[in-house]
Amino acid sequence: MELVELINENIVKIPLAGNSKDDILKELITVLKDAGYIDDVEETYRDVRKREDKGSTGLENGIAIPHAKTSTVKDMTLALGIKPSGVDFESLDGKPSKVFFLLLAPPDQAGPHIEALSEIARLSRSRYFLETLSNAKNPKEAVELFKS
Amino acid sequence: MEGPIKKIMVYIDGTEESITAGQYAICLSKSAGAELSALYVINTRALNELLRARIFIKSEQEEYKNDLEKDADRYLKHIKALADEKAINVNLIKASGNIIAEIKKSVKELDIDLLVIGELSRIQSRLDELHNEVERAMRSVSCSVLIVKDQERVETLYESLK
Repeated sequence: MELVELINENIVKIPLAGNSKDDILKELITVLKDAGYIDDVEETYRDVRKREDKGSTGLENGIAIPHAKTSTVKDMTLALGIKPSGVDFESLDGKPSKVFFLLLAPPDQAGPHIEALSEIARLSRSRYFLETLSNAKNPKEAVELFKS
Repeated sequence: MEGPIKKIMVYIDGTEESITAGQYAICLSKSAGAELSALYVINTRALNELLRARIFIKSEQEEYKNDLEKDADRYLKHIKALADEKAINVNLIKASGNIIAEIKKSVKELDIDLLVIGELSRIQSRLDELHNEVERAMRSVSCSVLIVKDQERVETLYESLK
């Protein structure tokens, strides 16, 4: 499954309100709950936090890719959030993270999960894409970027 | 005169489209009297890239590799069951590495003359075109390639196969 098939305006939040790693994770999970993709916010948070505790998913250049295998989703599910002012996500370069991709997959979908993470990794190598994405003013603008 | 198709290989990646391709390949194998192989590639290249990009930690890479091994066994077993049901022998191949390289390698080593793959995702961005590995494999293999479409029709075809 291509990333572009996972993204729609309902799972994008701009700007994120949270000011800490936990706030951001909970906010993204709530986006998925509000969009009807998950029911159990707490269990999802526990699964995401469990992975995060093993090592931060905050990368370089302002991007973070929290991810987890969780039985709270039936299919692979993505939430995208942007915090233009950035937030400390314990990133590799120590800089604030601005673009957050939360990717959740059921435990039996390792293949598609890896493909989607690889696709995000490829996108994250493009500074131009990340800069344009982090300047998106609303979900519509962000979604359009993936289709261009 | 012998038919043009003697050795068929179907690429299985666990998607519904690839399973449909498997059903079609079984039908083709039966009607052409061709040998059938099914290939699943454990994409260790992607796992390595995710580790290098620091998206994965080492223990996670191992965990996902095990998951992929199990997926490979499960999906190949499913194809074997589908082939058994129609009294077709299928040679199951589980490979690891780069998807494109492994498909090309098996096509060459087994002297495959038809590669069967599932329907590809619709190209929605330039990045899709550049990075869809099955599509790139399709373009670069030395044999003919058949893309299977219309799941419902294939299902009916498979069910009606004696």
